[in-house]
Amino acid sequence: MDSSKNNPIITVKNLAARFGNNVVFEDVSFEVYKGEVLVIVGESGCGKSTLLRIMIGLQKPAAGQVLYQGTDITHAREKDLNLYRQNIGVLFQSGALFSSMTIKENIELPLSEYTDLSPDAIDQIIKMKLGMVNLAGYENHHPSELSGGMRKRAGIARAMALDPRVLFFDELSAGLDPVTAVELDNLIIKTNEALGTTMVIVTHELESIYKIAHRVLMLDKEAKGMIAEGTPVDLKEHATDPRVKSFFLRQLPSAPAEQRFYDN
Amino acid sequence: MTKPLKRECQADYKISFQWEDLNLFIYLSGEFGLKNLNAFTDDIKREISRQETQSVTIDLSEICYLDSAAALALVQIEKGSASRNIPCRLINLNDEAKGIFSVIHEDALTQLPFHPEKSSEGVITQMGQASLYLARDFVNFVTFIGELLVALAYTLRHPKSLRGKDVLFYVRRAGVDGLPIVALIGLLMGLIMAFMSYLQFRQFGANIYVPALVSFAMVKELGPIMTAILVAGRSGSAFAAEIGTMVVNEEVDALQTMSFDPVRFLAIPKVLATVIVVPILTIYADLAGILGGMIIGITSLDLTVKTYLTQSMKTIQVFDVITSLIKASVFAGLISAIGCQRGFQVRSGAQDVGKYTTSAVVAAIFLIVLTDSIFAVMLYYVKRYSIL
Repeated sequence: MDSSKNNPIITVKNLAARFGNNVVFEDVSFEVYKGEVLVIVGESGCGKSTLLRIMIGLQKPAAGQVLYQGTDITHAREKDLNLYRQNIGVLFQSGALFSSMTIKENIELPLSEYTDLSPDAIDQIIKMKLGMVNLAGYENHHPSELSGGMRKRAGIARAMALDPRVLFFDELSAGLDPVTAVELDNLIIKTNEALGTTMVIVTHELESIYKIAHRVLMLDKEAKGMIAEGTPVDLKEHATDPRVKSFFLRQLPSAPAEQRFYDN
Repeated sequence: MTKPLKRECQADYKISFQWEDLNLFIYLSGEFGLKNLNAFTDDIKREISRQETQSVTIDLSEICYLDSAAALALVQIEKGSASRNIPCRLINLNDEAKGIFSVIHEDALTQLPFHPEKSSEGVITQMGQASLYLARDFVNFVTFIGELLVALAYTLRHPKSLRGKDVLFYVRRAGVDGLPIVALIGLLMGLIMAFMSYLQFRQFGANIYVPALVSFAMVKELGPIMTAILVAGRSGSAFAAEIGTMVVNEEVDALQTMSFDPVRFLAIPKVLATVIVVPILTIYADLAGILGGMIIGITSLDLTVKTYLTQSMKTIQVFDVITSLIKASVFAGLISAIGCQRGFQVRSGAQDVGKYTTSAVVAAIFLIVLTDSIFAVMLYYVKRYSIL
């Protein structure tokens, strides 16, 4: 990883997000390096998903910039934004597969739109992608016929259809059983190692963070910004900030709530 | 959070009171829970206020069942007497009882809600707000029509980008599947109109004008309006619900991240399909209406099929047919545009989908009637001053 440290693929500069007068976060700056798995963590409501939405161009920040290989995408015209979007893949919380289409048609959509491959070639690519996520043979299923974990994997296959440089995952393992969650983790590690795809993941599953993350960013609701950055092990063992510590040790920040005492 | 205490339990609760000077000792035994909450709190309170009291001690050692509601009632008795300067203590709690008391957070009981309860505003505020919403609604709709036109222009320049399969799908949904109900309603309207006008016309022997009245009304007004209202109810609502659900499922976000323009991708096929289909449905509705009139004409008015048809055709001019079809396409554009726009307005949740689906139908019907009156005035002047 170290050789690529100087090679940021995405640079986030002084980003701020607001809803009306309510500041979600302010002055968030970090870099995403080529080939790394970056995990964004933080308690609910700290703006992880908002940060992700800004990074994929779905929402405009109140201030600051997101640079993809040097080009600002927050102020980009629709045309440039579309070029950027062809370099990224996004897996939404629910998978967001188009329910009126089969799995095959879902994956086919970006391929037929942005490439001029023959139908046969597209078919082969779809089969390959489905094989990569362990869903070979499910081409003609509709999303409603799949389980939650399978839908997520199909979503990954669609997100990877155009071999994106960066993959974004929103709430990777939320609402999945532990076995399915591990399967997803393995899939991510495998994909990252085999294809070198950069990944930005929002999650709060500690176990999967330890397993997949090269680097972790932590946002905090009270601080309205980033409070920690580092490898998961590093943060767990050396963090001094009580908020970071309590997250990685899975404890409440302060001593257990006061107890009522009664005379005996 | 109720945790029954495991011990041999008496069927009900028992409270014994004991006075030592002015100090009251209360011994509780048995089950204390939601079902006898009122009874035992009344007993205790009555005893406390029966005479002047210096202190109260409640002994819980003999309790064999306690739930969180009963525990809360005891805490409230404790507080109530404390506020009257009578010290009150709960004693002899076993571990399980302590566990139950520990779930009562006193701060939570007195915590004020962060958001004050919504009070209804005055009539004037509400009226002001409603008109603001209305204005915003209008601006949103006009903006959306603009987006739609841009997307349409793009599609015209890049016909390949049009999702033909989707257009055909919605042609079937809005058109073929809607034909039976449109035809049935058209037929019944023709029938009713013919029958009602026959009842009036026969008084002065003007039966022969019934076919003209039916065909004139159907082709010029009722056919297009009725078809449009049916399509608004069947398809406009379906478009809003479909797009709304896609918004909730993040499917629209997914489209955007795959650099598809949601308007071009989702709205254009629906709008095109509706604009193609509604004029055709209107023709069917007109024909069904005339057929309905003819049934009455033949059975009650003693007219032959031939007379009925020639009489029907006499009043209809090519101008009327063409303008009514143009009107139908305008209705179609409005219905589908408002359906899609309301769908995109959904933000979250099932309730939003319902709300905007309803609003799509209501707004569509309103726009249909409004546009129809504009057409009526406009066509009158066009006909008067033109060569048509």
